[in-house]
Amino acid sequence: MPAAGEGITDMDMWFDHVTLSRVQFGFTALFHILWPVLTVGLSVFLVVVEALWLKTHDTDYYYHARFWSKLLLLNFGIGVVSGIPLEFQFGTNWSEFAVVTGDFMGNILGFEAAMAFMLEAGFIGIMMFGWRRVTPGIHLFATVMVATGASLSAFWIMSASAWMQTPAGVHLEGRQLVVDSYLEAIFNPSMPTSIAHMWFACLETSLFVIGGISAWYLLQGRHVEFFLKSFKFAVLGAAIVTPAQIILGDASGVVMAEHQPAKLAASEAHWETNPPEKGAPWAVLAWPDPESQHNRWAIEIPAALSLLTTHSLTGRVAGLEEFARADQPPVLVPFYALRIMVAIGVWLLLLTVWSLWRWLRGRALEQEHHLLKLWLASLPLGYIAVETGWLLRETGRQPWVVHGLLRTGEAASALPADAVAASLLGYLFIYVTLLAVFLVFARRLVRRGPDLQAPVPALHPSSPLRTAPGTAGEPAPRSQP
Amino acid sequence: MNEVQLFLGNIWFFIIGLILVLYVVLDGFDLGVGILSILARDEERRGTMMASLGSVWDANETWLVVLGGALFGAFPLVYALALHALYIPITLMIFGLIFRGVAFEFHEHARRKAPWGVAFGAGSLIAATMQGLALGGIISGIRVVDGEFAGGIWDWLNPFALLVAAGVVSGYTLLGATYLVIKTQGELQARSYRRAQFAAWSMLVAAAGVTIWTPLLYAQVAERWFSIPDIFYIGPLPLAATGTFVMLLRSLARRRERAPFVWSLAIFLFSFAGLAISLYPNLLPPGVAIADAAASAKTLVFMLTGIGMLLPVMMIYNGYQYLVFRGKVEGSGYGRE
Repeated sequence: MPAAGEGITDMDMWFDHVTLSRVQFGFTALFHILWPVLTVGLSVFLVVVEALWLKTHDTDYYYHARFWSKLLLLNFGIGVVSGIPLEFQFGTNWSEFAVVTGDFMGNILGFEAAMAFMLEAGFIGIMMFGWRRVTPGIHLFATVMVATGASLSAFWIMSASAWMQTPAGVHLEGRQLVVDSYLEAIFNPSMPTSIAHMWFACLETSLFVIGGISAWYLLQGRHVEFFLKSFKFAVLGAAIVTPAQIILGDASGVVMAEHQPAKLAASEAHWETNPPEKGAPWAVLAWPDPESQHNRWAIEIPAALSLLTTHSLTGRVAGLEEFARADQPPVLVPFYALRIMVAIGVWLLLLTVWSLWRWLRGRALEQEHHLLKLWLASLPLGYIAVETGWLLRETGRQPWVVHGLLRTGEAASALPADAVAASLLGYLFIYVTLLAVFLVFARRLVRRGPDLQAPVPALHPSSPLRTAPGTAGEPAPRSQP
Repeated sequence: MNEVQLFLGNIWFFIIGLILVLYVVLDGFDLGVGILSILARDEERRGTMMASLGSVWDANETWLVVLGGALFGAFPLVYALALHALYIPITLMIFGLIFRGVAFEFHEHARRKAPWGVAFGAGSLIAATMQGLALGGIISGIRVVDGEFAGGIWDWLNPFALLVAAGVVSGYTLLGATYLVIKTQGELQARSYRRAQFAAWSMLVAAAGVTIWTPLLYAQVAERWFSIPDIFYIGPLPLAATGTFVMLLRSLARRRERAPFVWSLAIFLFSFAGLAISLYPNLLPPGVAIADAAASAKTLVFMLTGIGMLLPVMMIYNGYQYLVFRGKVEGSGYGRE
């Protein structure tokens, strides 16, 4: 997916249709990804609490399912409607891309819609509004289907996106890339790490949303026992997910070094290939200057880049000098995007370790105010890591839209620039409005809190919930505010 | 292009037609309810209308995403050319869908509901109008030279497309009104009967106009319609549609609850069959046919085993969702159980 234009120095360049289409795709993609992240992660959480309710009969789990699913639904609607522009932009703004890659990409997007989106959409109604209309068992099934659909859609999208990074299983025939092997194309070299890294990003971001909101209630002293459950869940989940995500990030870097050396060099601002027997240094911070092809200044750790990418102190890491300037990605954005993402990953791991340590020392977590405040402050960090991760992924792939096969500049529709500028302004206005309104309503939802008095559906297998309200002696579980 | 690939292309022409029909009737009634919500007298009634869609709007709209994906995969060239040529109506349709989609949740959460009521109604109307203009733009022809779009960005805006858009908006409104007849009761249901009658007549006028105009626009279509043996395939369609229209008016006059929706669906099916027969084997008239645009045989087979097999499964669980939420809407809020 083409992302926002970098390295543009000439102001006139901004007003051509390719740059505008790139900015538009980048902006709409960066906005869209905010929502599925929570849908994927939170739906897994909902499956867990609902299953716990059915197993333990502890009604707190039922109320957790009801409370968090409201946030999920508010989030879900925006995810649905902001996903449509992405699919259609492949045709409207990137019609040459659509022609060249349609044999693979179109098919995979079709799969995603038919296998994943529809599954999500087909059961979210029952999951949200069907509590009184189906049995608890069927309701759990619907929740599982929503979570499965959400994760499957991540699977297909990341497979398609990974193919654009490391295309495989196709050959060029006239204008089109024709598929030789679907197995090779779907399971392309960067697909396993891409999918795992994104899926764990969804889990991690969602865990810190759950943990952050729970921490807020604990700090307020509201529903302490109730939110201690979800807070502890978040800490335990983070104990698995945060270290795993760092390992997966490292694995992604190794794949990148092997298949996209220019992207790796750009994201590390690594200009000169290290001589044999001497490790490449890792720049902690730097100010890259593509004009003169070196860093104006850099704070470096000797040999660390060799160690990170080749897992050897003297491993060879190709510098940007080995690539023609026309084939070099922009450097500044991938370089800093990578560092922000990594810093957040490390911080969330440290926060998790600290929380576990306090917990294992037998401290009452609801009393740990400093810790809780840090969890609250860390709530948006997962989102920022996801955004910077995508910036790194897509700007680092430039100047290619399909690595080594199709250049971004050749993939765009020949549209009048003012038409693209107008649609871009439209998206800017709409998306800023949606985000603002979402934040207002989400805040209101959280401040209102869970309704712990609402009637709970009966769990006996002999009394399904089909009955209308007030009939058959069954309480009508309505959780109205 | 060998025979196998052409055969597979034909199968996909049929499957995409099926997905298009599913999308048009399902999101058609959905958008139609949205258009009718503009006429609702207060936010309470508008809320009831929205509640009638609460559990199904998302799945209905997802058929558009399935349609886009299937078209992109099976006929990449058509996907690229059509969307490029229709940049403005497609973008505006998306804007409309965004506003009406978020309105479901936002209308429920908002203290001042009116702006989201407007977003729901206007978004639905814009999306429906733009779909009509896009269809009209495609039927009135897309200029292609050497596999590239060679027309202008406003080509789709012409009197014929406006007439098609009027037909699509009326048709969606008819579906929406007959759906509301099933889902509501009392005053709202009574109004829905009257609105369905009005929408039916306005759709008839637009459809008749389009039917007369299309063969005048294309010698190709005229030849197909008025030549033997093709006239025997296409001839029954307007007759069947007219008969169905009479049955629709009868069922509305007799205040039947389900029949009007079923007859409206039938009218849509006949119109679509007519359109498909007139276009075949063209996908984008005048010059892009199935043989020019089909993806590789390998891809078409792969899609057939994947998406093709999933189609019935999708229809079954979608149907289950309608079954779970059958009956009249209670209350006026989206998200009430």
